[in-house]
Formats: sequence, structure tokens, C-alpha cells
Amino acid sequence: MNTLIILSALGIIALFAEIFRFRKALFPLILLGLGGAFFFTAKEYNHPQIFLGMMNFDNYAVIFSCAILIIAFLWFMMAKNYFLQETSVTDHFALILFSLVGAVVMVSFSNLTMLFLGIEILSVSVYVLAASDKSNVMSNESGFKYFLMGSFATGFLLFGITLIYGITGSFDLASIHTQVAANHDSGLVIAGILLLMIGLAFKSSLAPFHFWAPDVYEGAPTTVTTYMATVVKTAAFAAFFRLFSTCFAGVTGHWTDVLWWMVVLTLFVGNVSAVRQKSVKRLLAYSSVAHAGYIAIAVVSMGAASTSAILYYTFTYSISSISAFTILFIVSRHKGSKDISAFEGMSKANPLLSFAMTVAMLSLAGIPPTAGFFAKYYVFLTAINAGNTLLVLIAVIAALVGIYYYFRVIIAIYFKPEQQLVPIKVGPLHRTVLIITTILTLLFGLFPNLILGWI
Amino acid sequence: MLQYAALIPFFPLAGFIILGLLNKKLPKNIAAVIACGMLLISFGLALGVFMNISGKTEEVQLAPWINVGSFSASFTFLLDPLSSIFLMIITGVGFLIHVYSIGYMHDDEKHNIFFAYLNLFIFFMLVLVLASSYLLMFVGWEGVGLCSYLLIGFWFKTKAYNDAAKKAFIMNRIGDLGFLLGIILLFITFGSSDYHTVFTKANGLMSGDTMITTITLLLFVGAMGKSAQIPLYTWLPDAMAGPTPVSALIHAATMVTAGIYMVARSGILYALSPVSMLVVAVVGIVTAVFAATIALTQNDIKKVLAYSTVSQLGYMFLGLGVGAFSASVFHVMTHAFFKALLFLGAGSVIHGLSGEQDIRHMGGLRKKMPITHITFLLATLAIAGIPPFSGFFSKDEILGHAFSAGMVFWVLGVIGSMMTSFYMFRLLFLAFYGTYRGDEHKVHAHESPKVMTIPLIILAILSTIGGFVGVPESLGGSANFDKFLEPVFHDAYAKMLLMEHSQILSEVALMGITVAAAAISIFFAWNMYVKKKTVPVSEGTRLPFLQNMSYHKYYVDEIYSALITKPLDKISGFLGNVVDNKFIDGIVNASGKLTNWVSGLMRFVQTGNVDFYLLAMVVGIALIIFFKLM
Amino acid sequence: MLGDLKTIPLDWYILLSSILFCIGVMGVLFRRNAIIIFMSIELMLNAVNLLLVAFSAYHNDAKGQVFVFFTMAVAAAEIAVGLAILVVVYRNTKSTDIDVLNRLKG
Repeated sequence: MNTLIILSALGIIALFAEIFRFRKALFPLILLGLGGAFFFTAKEYNHPQIFLGMMNFDNYAVIFSCAILIIAFLWFMMAKNYFLQETSVTDHFALILFSLVGAVVMVSFSNLTMLFLGIEILSVSVYVLAASDKSNVMSNESGFKYFLMGSFATGFLLFGITLIYGITGSFDLASIHTQVAANHDSGLVIAGILLLMIGLAFKSSLAPFHFWAPDVYEGAPTTVTTYMATVVKTAAFAAFFRLFSTCFAGVTGHWTDVLWWMVVLTLFVGNVSAVRQKSVKRLLAYSSVAHAGYIAIAVVSMGAASTSAILYYTFTYSISSISAFTILFIVSRHKGSKDISAFEGMSKANPLLSFAMTVAMLSLAGIPPTAGFFAKYYVFLTAINAGNTLLVLIAVIAALVGIYYYFRVIIAIYFKPEQQLVPIKVGPLHRTVLIITTILTLLFGLFPNLILGWI
Repeated sequence: MLQYAALIPFFPLAGFIILGLLNKKLPKNIAAVIACGMLLISFGLALGVFMNISGKTEEVQLAPWINVGSFSASFTFLLDPLSSIFLMIITGVGFLIHVYSIGYMHDDEKHNIFFAYLNLFIFFMLVLVLASSYLLMFVGWEGVGLCSYLLIGFWFKTKAYNDAAKKAFIMNRIGDLGFLLGIILLFITFGSSDYHTVFTKANGLMSGDTMITTITLLLFVGAMGKSAQIPLYTWLPDAMAGPTPVSALIHAATMVTAGIYMVARSGILYALSPVSMLVVAVVGIVTAVFAATIALTQNDIKKVLAYSTVSQLGYMFLGLGVGAFSASVFHVMTHAFFKALLFLGAGSVIHGLSGEQDIRHMGGLRKKMPITHITFLLATLAIAGIPPFSGFFSKDEILGHAFSAGMVFWVLGVIGSMMTSFYMFRLLFLAFYGTYRGDEHKVHAHESPKVMTIPLIILAILSTIGGFVGVPESLGGSANFDKFLEPVFHDAYAKMLLMEHSQILSEVALMGITVAAAAISIFFAWNMYVKKKTVPVSEGTRLPFLQNMSYHKYYVDEIYSALITKPLDKISGFLGNVVDNKFIDGIVNASGKLTNWVSGLMRFVQTGNVDFYLLAMVVGIALIIFFKLM
Repeated sequence: MLGDLKTIPLDWYILLSSILFCIGVMGVLFRRNAIIIFMSIELMLNAVNLLLVAFSAYHNDAKGQVFVFFTMAVAAAEIAVGLAILVVVYRNTKSTDIDVLNRLKG
């Protein structure tokens, strides 16, 4: 609860910053506030608190909140200059802070009402952010597409919640669990579960509900895309797994087969579509879809280890993504292009950027000793423990395709002829972000227990 | 004190990182001081551990490492008398060799990288002996292999040196495979690779367990590779391609004794398997004698020492095989002193003669290089087993145990020992006595600088008096060394039961025989090379059969090449050209093209029209609802 | 009031809401004008609201009705944002037809 109070207060302060003209002080204030939120959240570890049956700050909620706060912290460091220079910084920071409130609600709800509100608080803020580059038609299109499809999917999600309510007479997760078990063969229950799953699959961009993702990711400002690929994705999967593991783990027959096919389709679409992309941003967008497929494997194979697998995967994926998107941001700013060709031959003049990008790409491709390797490993382990060997086989083949397109970037950086020898200027904030993310990616790859031990 | 012990390996690592990163930006002097300084700090800490460790066993956990399912491993260091002795050898002798290298490598353009590699080697070697589990030991094991490869091929512009480096690496891989299989079997049998767990559980087993025999034999395969025993010894003589300090540090004093350390560390497992013990003893004694016969006729100063090292390692394994664990470790220590000294002395000679390594072109260096001569002489006396030099005590302890285990081991051991004295004094006499046989006008033999001779002097002192820490009771000593190590090997000794000591009288008598035998060989060598001034014949002269076999190292390299390397080349050529290039690459390329093509198709699906996306969503929902509800 | 509601079987409410929901979906799918699409989405949400209220009455439980207030509030916020985005789009493209928006693809 402390997290929510601090984040909301920060959001409101951010709004005031415009009126009372202390924009300069806002950024340090936010970092400080996020640090404070992290501290107070971490203090609740092993001290679960329940708020009126609406929210339950158990360890799951605390750990995912902490992960989200860390990612958000890095995100603010990465995005500060963009918003300071291009748009009204206060409004957008306020929106991000409010959407963080939504994300925290999404990982801590114990009632469908809060799930719905959390998703909406998060989404509505991000709709605006996606369209925030007002004069850019791409950004407009991105925001509009996201909004339209998002609210359409909300309709299905709501319909699902309503059907579940109709059968169980409650929005509370615990009583839904018992009631669903009692009425497990009712058609309305099955339809409700499936519609809920579809709503959440949309948020986590699982095929065939992923179509928005590549377009929205490409059109939105790169900083916002980063936010969507990291915080939004983490929150979506945390909510997805929290809901399905508490309510519907007893009736897996109703939904795992559907999700199984969605995972296969997602892995196929995400990885294969990425192969031919010219733009690194769109490539990362498809890669984000593909990664949703990998994470969903842990949801399909619901088991004891799934929680830690999802935590490890979402967190390390977010870290690597921030690294990759930050470099993309820097390079595209410098070269005026987001294509792979913009990266060609940059290794000589920019060793830090090249190394950080390589580590990020290796991690996304799942190659040791980076964190991405263990991320895939633990997810696959849950699937094997649940007997989903075929799924693992498909996922491994998909990962091989993934290696192909991630290496296109690395090859462009190191093995293509040098385009220009002028070093790209990297600001101190970006440099810090890159150093932190690269070190973390390698550190978590060598010592996965640093994350896994917590949950 | 002990809590700081965990830092010991990290100083050399820090040295490696600093030197590796800054490389050419650092002046040579500073780089050398950093490398040596790091090691000196480690040595100080190791000394502290050594003073405090007696009778204790401490585990220092540094970090969790891997936790996967039921499998877990952590970075934990184990400190006990056994590891502390190795710590002392590695950091102490290592430090002296580092200092020596300042002089030896002074003019080399890759001076800084050389010290970086040396520091990295020390780090891995320390991890190897400090590890508290087989898995972590394996990390160090592979690390030292890597450093050995890098340092043998240090002057990589010469192809022969590269080939030697590759040979060492590949031979070690064969051994490592055995080691790895052994670790995996340990996991399956005991559910862990931690020494503590494994040894505690093993202590409850009966002698003669088949699984234990398999494990110990596999581990021994690893030891054979690393410690150059028959049949995996041929890499070590070739490894002399590396700079001489490397030969002294890695291929004489430390890395090659890793196999001894591993077998000694696993003493309890070996004690449970009489078969494995016999195999270790037989391989050891055969290697000891076999390598000694080769050393008799070699003319390259470093090759003689290399075969001598193989031979001495054979003695150590003999000791392990007959249950004399602490005697073997004792010999590791004394051998580290005198063999490092011999190599450094040889290096000093090579340095003084501007790269000449052939003893036929030396002679009379006694006057020109007095310090090198004296120290070399002391080391030669030590390795020949002349009392009271260090080698005498350690070797005789091994031979004494060998006598108890079987007459034949002892007889062969004494024969080997005679050959040792002979070839070592042959080397000494040919190099330092008589008259100079090289070209006086081209080469001006000179004594090496102080930075090289001081390590020689220190090592010479150690070689002379190092044996007194373990004077046996039969000679009025108190066998302190054995007592120091007793807690480590206590369980292993208890399992063997057969440790009945020979009578005091016969023990002294045995020593007398070996010393007399050594003295006779020395006399023969003196007679032949000083009195008669015989010089080994030059290349191409026909030699008597036995001498010819020895000179050509029994053609083992050629046999390996014909039986293993060439057939493998043929098969891999076929696999590479036909199967891989045509068939497998074809499949890979085709699947790549297919993926690319499908990817092109997929792009048409992403039309950019929202209504199409929405339609796809609705169709998806409809299909899902339809299939689940109908 | 509640008694009267209960005389109509619950199935009828479910059917009616489903039909309304589907009409909304069809509207979103087949209309081109963004304003009409927004209205269709509103229809979908209101169909759900109707069903929620019906279930709420059926279970004699007020939570369902409270949920409807949340839905309405959220829907209002959502539409406000949607219209704002639409205004920006209109400024740049001079059209409210969704077919103009297909620059991002592939």
C-alpha cells in the first residue's frame, strides 16, 4: 500500500510541477520517490498485508512491485532527456507514475475489480503516451491503434469478469476459486475463463491477439515503446499468472490447451516475422511478441517453479530490453535511422555501445553467460516438469530462429564495413543505464540465484 | 586469519585484470611489480593460513553459484593442512618464479601479457586447490589448462610452439573427459560433488565397491592427463616450447602436480578400491622408469628436465598407489623446490648462452656462471636423493612404503632412482664441467642478473634444507610433515589397514641401498663425462639399438600419430568435406531460406489495417469459444 | 422492483446482453468512422453493464452494481482519451476514417 501512496503522490507532485514551475527539481524528486517506494515495498517482504479483500500484498506482489520499480527507475534515467526536450515533461512523467500505480495494482489484486481497474489505469495512461508525439502521424496512428484495440479487448475482459461473477456471485479470487471448482462444467464458467484469458492475452500480446504490438511499438516514441516492452509486459504477465494460478489452477483442462496453441502460434509469428525486418525497432517489437510466447510457456505449465521462472524471465528480459532500446534511441538519434544499417561498423568508434548491444542481443537470444539463457532454461524446465516436452521442442526451434535475427544486429555492428568513425555521444545518464543493465545481465546470468532466491 | 584466506586467489586475479586491461599502457617495471606484488600478498596470507591451520578444517563460503532443481553448487573454499601446503608451494615458488621472470622476460615485447597470464594461472591454480567440491576444482582444473595452453604457445609465431600448445590442450582434454565422467558418477552415487558430503558418505562404504572403483579410475584418467603419466605423457616434453619460467612454474612445480593433489584429496575413495590403488601404483612406477630411460640420452637441457619431471611424477603416483599419501605430498613439495630450481638454472644457462639449449654445445660453464653452477649442483644432489638434501627424505619415504607394498615396486624404484642420478649428473657434468664446446666468438657466456640469481639462491636453500620438515623417526626425526597431514588422510589410512611399517633396521638398510645405488651412478657419470670427457654423438650417427630407442623416445609420438591422429584426420576429413559441407550445410541453408521466405509471407499478414486486426481477434475468439463449448 | 426483475428468467438477460455485445462487436468490425466505432465499443461495455446488473439482482448482491459504476467511470475516461487521440489524428490527417491509418505495417 505504501507503494501506491508514494507513487500516486509523486504523480500529483509531477502535475503540480508544471503549475509551480519546479520542473528542474522533478527528475531527482522522482528518482528519490521511486527509491523510497522501493524501500517501503521491500520492507513488506514476508509481512503480507490484506486491504479490505481488494488487494493482498503478499510476497508475490512485493517482489513483482520491486521488479517494476527497478525497471521504472532505469526507465526514468533513460527517458529523462527525451521528455525534457521534446514534450511537456511533467504531464508525461505524471502519466507514467499513474500507470505505475496501475501496474502495482495488477500485481497485487485479490479481487477482479482491482484487476480491471489496474489494467485500465495502466492502459489509459499508455494510450496517451503512445500518441504523445502529437505532430508525428506515426505516433498518432500508434496511439489510436492501441486505444481502439485495447478498449475493444477490454470489452471481452469485462464480459469474462461478468460471466464469472454470474456463476460465482463474487469478485473475490478465493471464493471464485472454490465456486469455479464447484461449477467446473458450466458453459458460462468456461466461456468466462476463456474471455478473461483472451483479455489478458491481448495485454501480453499473445497471438492471435498480438497484431497491435508491432505497429504500436514501432509508432510510439522509443522511450514509450521501452516502457511498454518492459513494465507493461511484466505487469501483464504477473497479473495473468496471479489470476490463473489462484482461480483457475484447478480447472486447467478448460484453458491450457487453448493457451498451448496460442503459445505455439506466438512463438512462430513473433520469431519468424522478425527475420525479415529492416528496422531494429520493429525487430525488437516482434522479438517482444516472441518473448511473450516464451513467458507464457511457464503459465501453460502451471507448477511450483512457474512463479520464479516468470519473475526471472520478465525481469531479465526487461533489463536487456532497456539496454537494447536505449542504444537504439541513441543510435537513431545520431544517424536519423532506426534500420539495422544504422548500426553497421559502429564497433570501432563506439566500443561501449557495441558491447552493451551485443550483451543485450545475446541475452535476448538466450545465450550463456547472459541472463537470457537461464530465463529460457527455467521456463523450459517448468514445461518439462509439467510434461510439455513437445512445447519445449517447438520453443527451442523458435529460439534458433531468434538467434538468427539477433545476430544480424551483432554482425552489423562488428563485421560490416565502417560507415563513419565519429564516436556517438552518449550522455552520462544513458551511459549509467547501459553500464548498469549490461552488468546486471551478465551478473544474473552467472548468479541466477540473486533473483530466484526471493520467491 | 582464516577468514581472509578466501582472498588469496583474488589478488592474482586482480593482477591479471589490471595487466590485461592496461596491457601496453603500463611500463614494464610497474607491470612486473604489480604481478609480483599481488603474489607476495597472497603468499603472506597463505603463510598466515599455514601457521594457523594445523589440525583444523575450515570452509569459507563465498557465494552461491548454481542452484538448479536438486543440483546445487557454491563457491566455497576449503582450508585444511593439505590445501595449505599447496597454497604455500603455489604462492611461494610462484612468487620466486615471478621475480625470476622479471629478468628472463625483460626484453620480450609481450612482457606485460606474460605476467598477466602468469597471474591468471596462479588464480586458477589456487582455485583448484582451495575448492571444496569436485565441480569447483574442475573450474580451476580447466583454467590452469587454458593458461598452460596460452603460455606454451606464448611465442605463437613459431608453428612448432603452436603445435606443442595444441598437443598439450588436446591430451589434457582426454584426461579431462575422464575427470568429468568421474564427477558425474560422483553426483549420481553421492548426490553431490562436495568433498564433505562425498567423503562422509564414502566413509560408510565397504572396501571394493565397484562404483567407487569406476569413479576412482575415471578420476585417475584425469590425473594421468594433467600429471603426464603413461599413456598421456607425451605433451609435457613438447610443452617445453614455452618460456622457461613457465616450464618451471606450470610444467614442473605446480600444475602438473594437480593430479597428485586430486588423488590425494580423494584418498578415502582410493582407499576403498584396492584395484584403483594398484593401477595408480603400477602406472606410476612404469612411468617413473620409462621416462627415466628416455632422459638418459636426451641432449636438450629442457627435454632432460621434462622427462625427469614425468619420472618424478611417476614416483609421486607410486607413493599414492602404495598408500603413502603424505609422502607423495612431501615429494610434491621438495620436487617443487628442486625442479623449479633446475628449470630456472637451465633458464639461466639458456639466457647466458643467448638461447642455446643443446648440452653438446655447452661445457665449462662452472667458472662463467658460478651461482648458477652451485645452485644447479645442489638441486642435482637433491633430485638424486643424496642425504641430507630434500629429495632424499621424500623419495626414500615413498620407496620405503613401496617396499612394504611389494618388493617389485621397490626394486624398480631403485633402478629408476639410479637412472635419475645418472642422467642428472650427466647433464650437470656436460653443461658445467670440462671445456666450453660452443663457439666462443659468437656467444659470450655470462652470469645472469641478480633478479634471476636471487630466486635461484633461495630455491637452492629450500632444496637443501626443505627435507628436514619430514625427517623420519628411523633417522631420529619426528616425521612432522606426516603428522601435519595426518588429520586429512586419517580416514583413508584407517580404510587401508595394511599400513604396517617395516622394521626400523630394514628401513635404514633400504635407505643405505638407495643412497649407495645413487652414488654408484654418480660415479659412472663422473667417469664417463668428466674423466673420459665423452660427448654425446651428433645427429645422424647410428646408435646401438637400446640407446637409439631411448633417444627417439621409443617412437611413442610416431606410434600415436600412426594409430590415432592419422586415422582420425582421415575420418574427420570425410565428415568435414562430404557429410558436413554437402549434406548438413545443405539442410541448414535450406531451412534458413525457408524461414526467410515464410517471414516474407508473414509480413503480408501484418497489413497495418486496424479492421483486419480486429477481425483476426474476433475470428480467434470465435474459434476458441466454438471449439471449447461445442 | 427486484421481484419483477426475477420474473424474467436470467437466461433472457444473458441472451439479450450477448446479442447487444455482438452488435457492438459487429459495429466495431464493419464501420469505418472512428466516432461510430467508439459508440459501438460503448455498446459492448453497456451490454456487459446490463448483464452485471442482472447477475447482481439474481445473486441479491450489491457488488455487481458497484462494479457497474467502476465500468462506467473507466469507460468515460477511456472515451475521453480516445476522442483526444482522435482529435490529434484529425489535425494531422483531416479524416476520422480508420482506413487512413495504415502507415505502420509489415
